[in-house]
Amino acid sequence: MSQTNTVSYKELIFNGIVKENTIFKLALSLCPSIAVTNNLKNGVLMGVAVLFVQVMVNLTISALRSVIHPKVRLPIFMLVISGWVTVTDMLMAAGFPEVYKQMGLYIQLIVAFASILARAEMFASKNKVGPSMADGIGMGIGFLFALTVISFFRELLGKGSLWGFPIVNTKPLLIMILPAGGFFAVGILMGFFNWIDTRYMKKGAHASH
Amino acid sequence: MTAKDIIKVTLNLVIVYLVGGIILSLVYAKTSPIIFKNNEEAKKKALQQLMPEADSIKIAGEWSPHGKHAEYFVAKKGGETIGYVVQSFGKGYSSYIDTLVSVNRDFKVQKIDILHHAETPGLGDEIQLPYFKDQFAGKDLDHLKVVKTETPGYIQAISGATISSRAVTEDAVKNGVKFLMEKREEGPLEEMAPEKGSEEKGGNEDVANKHS
Repeated sequence: MSQTNTVSYKELIFNGIVKENTIFKLALSLCPSIAVTNNLKNGVLMGVAVLFVQVMVNLTISALRSVIHPKVRLPIFMLVISGWVTVTDMLMAAGFPEVYKQMGLYIQLIVAFASILARAEMFASKNKVGPSMADGIGMGIGFLFALTVISFFRELLGKGSLWGFPIVNTKPLLIMILPAGGFFAVGILMGFFNWIDTRYMKKGAHASH
Repeated sequence: MTAKDIIKVTLNLVIVYLVGGIILSLVYAKTSPIIFKNNEEAKKKALQQLMPEADSIKIAGEWSPHGKHAEYFVAKKGGETIGYVVQSFGKGYSSYIDTLVSVNRDFKVQKIDILHHAETPGLGDEIQLPYFKDQFAGKDLDHLKVVKTETPGYIQAISGATISSRAVTEDAVKNGVKFLMEKREEGPLEEMAPEKGSEEKGGNEDVANKHS
């Protein structure tokens, strides 16, 4: 992962989506992912917001990496992250008030996402702007994918609907939209993806697990 | 750490935080008027939906159910009062439910709207679905009561969410209507005069506090 000169952008993006998927592989940022995924719409919107913030943070940190003094890198990372989150928050409130009404609480949570700080520290602060953007896109899409899958199953099983539209007329498994169901969904899906990984993708080295 | 390091670290932090602050204030300056306008419009839209036939809905005063700030409004059509709208709060299962209630001149409920709540998703949040809200049309004070069996004339509880149903019906809506009726007995409800507002407003608030 670390030496990027030899790694293509495609691989970097793929890495974020599959090999180092924030939720299913690194098990980071689980708290917000459980909080917002009780319906598909929230999950997807949260994923998009994280994707945007992750890319912008990676770009900024990577562009500033030569002037940031290593001793104060963390406060500076935090400022960059919270700055971008606040900008996203205000732009969304102004541009998409309907969406913001549901998402407002969650967007501010992104400040505390371990996954974003982790990518800034582990990748963007050591790599050029191009690869950092690719890494941000990969990680962001990976997160969006994970939230979409989790919220798809939670809303379908818990409410019998998708994106607010009823699919079946009952609530097959109400517990899935309650917080406890979030743990079930994340755990089962994590197990499923790891099972696929060990069964069909043995060849690649994946040191993270 | 050498002196050079100290200077570099200081400069680093000062510059980054300064630039960050400037960017944030610029974005804030651009977006905050739009956000304010959006909020005002959303509220106006909610009021209009509650009283579609009214051509003007003006604020008449403030009160404080459960110690929260709430407002009430007079709805007019062609200069004549056709009803009132009151904002009210009900203590639900996991949140205070922010509700708007519109009544006609006989204090029968026309419509209700849930502005904000944080009830359990999948159970309590059904208070905002039409099948629950529509039950309130035409109810007077005595019929604002939650029943668990199907009894015509009353409000039927959402299964699995009796507390949330009660909070809306017997707390938010009922107290809102009661408040309006008591207010009406003291004198005609009129929209707040913009100039003499401060004096009148003070008086209104005292009364509201006593009732809540």
